[in-house]
Amino acid sequence: MTDQALIIQFQNGEVKEDAFTQLLKRHRETVFFQIKKMVLEHADADDIAQAVWIKVWNKLDGFKQESAFSTWLFRVAYNETLNFIAQKKRLKTHTTQNELDHSLEHPSSQNALKETTIQIKLERAIAELPEKQRFVFMLRYYEAFDYEKIASITGTTVGGAKANYHQAVKKMTELLQQA
Amino acid sequence: MNDMNDMENESISKALEEALKSFDSKTKQVPAGYFDQFEMDLIQQIKVEGQAPQKARIVNLFLNQKKYLVAASLLFAIATGYLFFNKAENTTTQIAKVEVIDIGSLPDELIEAYVNNNELVTEVEWNSAIEAAGTNLISRNQ
Repeated sequence: MTDQALIIQFQNGEVKEDAFTQLLKRHRETVFFQIKKMVLEHADADDIAQAVWIKVWNKLDGFKQESAFSTWLFRVAYNETLNFIAQKKRLKTHTTQNELDHSLEHPSSQNALKETTIQIKLERAIAELPEKQRFVFMLRYYEAFDYEKIASITGTTVGGAKANYHQAVKKMTELLQQA
Repeated sequence: MNDMNDMENESISKALEEALKSFDSKTKQVPAGYFDQFEMDLIQQIKVEGQAPQKARIVNLFLNQKKYLVAASLLFAIATGYLFFNKAENTTTQIAKVEVIDIGSLPDELIEAYVNNNELVTEVEWNSAIEAAGTNLISRNQ
């Protein structure tokens, strides 16, 4: 059964919970991983994902299917993630910096150190990207969404989405090359 | 689509690509059964929220008609002002009309009636004037 058919079932109210559960099962992992790539912390991603799906439950009746469900869903996820980041920005920056410094000071082995250092550098580089660039990059690189869809999710133009992607690649490359 | 991705990914360095792959694996690490638990918790939460008594919605009765209320108030103020000033203007005009009555246009009968009715006053006035003049003449002669 397609997303569209499930949404119609949900909106008709016949098997509302079943239809919702089907949609949840289909998209929960993609949405969760996208959010986690944005905020890095599992607990934060969990909170945001809960908020996203509750919003979907509450607003799905009014969804007119003018865009694909996944586009609408990721738009909800994008907005919720931005709200969350805005609320916790100062605290988050402080915590991430402390965790990264601690990891760099306490490597478990030489290989682990190398891996961890690159990983930490990447995470730091990702954290330094503006939220929109980060979200665009993750959708394009990991989910292989086309730019039209990304533009619709993030409320930008196709050209803007492309520019965001290339800026993100450029910045991450530069930050990884730094000693 | 794949060609385009390949072209884009060419600009991504090997080091970055490896780091991104590792990052992907790391973000996909979740506790066992996490998503099933997530689903159960979510459905539970939705049910709890659905059963919770709905808060009474505060509705501002005239909030939607705010612009009409403002327009009505302005109209009322303008109408009141117009009526007030128009009334004052009418009064002023009436007074002015009394002042500009042309005595020549009045009928003789009306003038005669006025003089007859006020004869006593006229006499008194004339007498007073003559007395005053006489006194002056006497005092000058002295």
